[in-house]
This record gives sequence, structure tokens and C-alpha cells, in this order.
Amino acid sequence: MSVKHSLLALLYERPRHGYELKTGFDELVQSMWPLNAGQVYTTLDRLERDDLIESPGNDQKDRKLYTITEKGVETLWSWLEEPVERSLLKDEFYFKYLCASHVDYEDKQQMIQAQKQTMIKDVLHLTQMKQQMNRSGNDTMRMLVEGALLHLEADIKWLDMIAKD
Amino acid sequence: MIKVADVTKEFKNGKEVTTVLKGIDFSVKEGEFVAIMGPSGSGKSTLLQLIGGMDIPSTGRIELDGEELQTKSEKQRTIIRRKDIGFVFQNYQLLPTLTVYENITFPLHADRQKVNPDEVQELLKAVALTDYEKRFPHELSGGQQQRVAIARALIHKPAILLADEPTGNLDRERSSDILDLLSSFHQERGQTIVMVTHDMFAAGHADRIVLFKDGVIETEVQREDEDYAEFLSRFMA
Repeated sequence: MSVKHSLLALLYERPRHGYELKTGFDELVQSMWPLNAGQVYTTLDRLERDDLIESPGNDQKDRKLYTITEKGVETLWSWLEEPVERSLLKDEFYFKYLCASHVDYEDKQQMIQAQKQTMIKDVLHLTQMKQQMNRSGNDTMRMLVEGALLHLEADIKWLDMIAKD
Repeated sequence: MIKVADVTKEFKNGKEVTTVLKGIDFSVKEGEFVAIMGPSGSGKSTLLQLIGGMDIPSTGRIELDGEELQTKSEKQRTIIRRKDIGFVFQNYQLLPTLTVYENITFPLHADRQKVNPDEVQELLKAVALTDYEKRFPHELSGGQQQRVAIARALIHKPAILLADEPTGNLDRERSSDILDLLSSFHQERGQTIVMVTHDMFAAGHADRIVLFKDGVIETEVQREDEDYAEFLSRFMA
């Protein structure tokens, strides 16, 4: 999760001061990802150092305002254009399973079963979360939860394949 | 509310005997929403039929509110079923020559009960079909037909709703509508629901998921109450 690019996106919208960027970020992600004020200010320092943002001065309440520079807009655009790489072949459970095979661990089926139970519990909780989002009209993050549910469905099928193997 | 104790079910075909359920112990509390999952042939639909009194187990006991089903005659089981059970099937099973209103009220007529028009209207509203009461099944989409079937299953206020693959014929969006509808009957009216499904997405709407495999219960997973913030931080980590 790139705090840097989210701040550039918020400053592309309009000039803001540090606290507004923090609240803007929380609104953007519906407070689902935590971000502390310290992270905002250290990121702003770096962005200013790299000429991606600049300050036209302070507002009426003497808070330092920031605006995005042309270089900042270019950086934001190339980030948006870049596809996201995913770690498709890195799976913590499978790594553990491989280690279990290596040491002739006898309860490998139990490992799979326990993993499956954890994933099913996640399905139950995420579905509840999705329903709460539907009720509260929070459409912004609903697709994230839908995606997580699709991944979990695939993961549970995959565990069944490992169990049969 | 539902108790299944050491139930087995065998089907005979000539000399060949197939054991579909192999000593199942399972119970459902009043107001619970339970999903039974498993691959085809794992015995999940057979269990639903036994709970619904459409068949009896080869051995073991099935109790509905303390009343044993396997000792009852077919006629007695039909009476219990008409009073206490509502069924929803994958293929809706609506009567094609009857309107939506007539399909929904059909169980009351079949049981010689009086129709309360206000209650029918309330149910039509709950399933979002208020303007469709004079339509025929062929004039409705699959999702709408299933909503009629749910209303029909609930018209006699059954203690238990049994749903066999209720979203099996629907795409994900229509499935979502049907599952939200079942969830609302469960959450707002305390409807006890037992749903058979092969779909994890559907099962996620329940309070508890029971996984069947080769006629036995492989595992059961219950949703636990969690603090929303803790719950988020766990998924966001």
C-alpha cells in the first residue's frame, strides 16, 4: 500500500494541509487501513524533498498547505499505469506443508483440515462484513471483500486438491 | 429444535446396497442458520429429506422439537411437514398455471387453511414482489421465481425452512439477492434455516457451516462474535 501515491492523489484533487491529508486518506479507504499522523508528515517531507509536492505557504490557521507539482502528477500517472505484480507462487501454508513432508510429519491431513477450518471461518466473517457494508451503504470497499471471498473459495478448493494428492 | 442422532441411510438397488449416511450426529438450535456443504453424493440432500420427513433413516433418530420422526407413519409425517417445515428447491418447483399470488397461497389451500390477504401482502413486500402478484412463473426471472418459492415456503409460518441448493440455478448477483433475503428472514424474524449448498459463497451467509464427505461430517465451523476493529485488523494484516 503506497501512502506516497495516495497523498499525491489527494493533492491532485486540491491543495491540503497535513491533517486534511490524514482525514482524506481515512475517507479514501473507509478507515480500513490504519495510517498514523507521523507517517503522513514523514511522507510529506520526502515528497517535498523529491520535488513531487511543494508548499505555497500557510493557510489562515497557520497550517502548512501542500500542492502537487508537475513532476508529482507525472509520478502519480505512471504509478496508475503500472500493472500490479502479485506473489502468486508464495504461500505460507504450502511452505509449511513442504517442510512437514520433509520431516515426515504424520499429521499432514490434520494440517490441511485446520487450515481449511480457518479459511471457512474467514468466509463466515467476511460474508458478515459484506452484509454490514451493504446495510450501511458502504460500497467503496465492498469489492475488496468480494475479491477476498473469491480468493478464499479458490484456496479452499486448492486445499482439497492437496488433500487428495 | 432439530436433533439427528446416529443416523444412517441405505439405499438398495437389487443386491447392491449404498450407504449414503454413515452415523450422523447433528443438531440445529432454534433461530440458527446452518449451511450443509459437501460434494455431490456426500449425503447432504439425503439428510435434508430426512429432516423434512420425506423419508426415514435406516437406523438412528430424527427429532423435531422433541418429536421423533422415524416412528411416525407417512401420513403423520406429512402433517408435521405441512405444519412445521417450509421447503425451497434449486428448480423453484412453482406451479406454471398459477399466478404468483396463487403459488404463494397454495400450501394454505392444500391444508384447508384460511388465507389472510394482509399476511400475503406483507410476504410479497418482504420478497420485493408486490407488483408481481398477478404474473405467472414464466413471466418472471429465475431470481424472482425463487423469491416466490421462498414466500410460498414461509406462508404457513413454519418453524424450519429447508433449502436445497436454493441458488444452484442462479448467477452470483441473483444468488446474492436470494441469500440476502434468506439472511433477512433469519436475522429479522429469527427464522431457523438449514440450507444445503455446494457453494462456499452461499454457505458464508450462515452462522455455521457443516462439511459432509462420503456420508460423514468432515468438519463444522461456527462464526464467532468478534470485535469489528479486531476483525478488520486481522484481515488487513
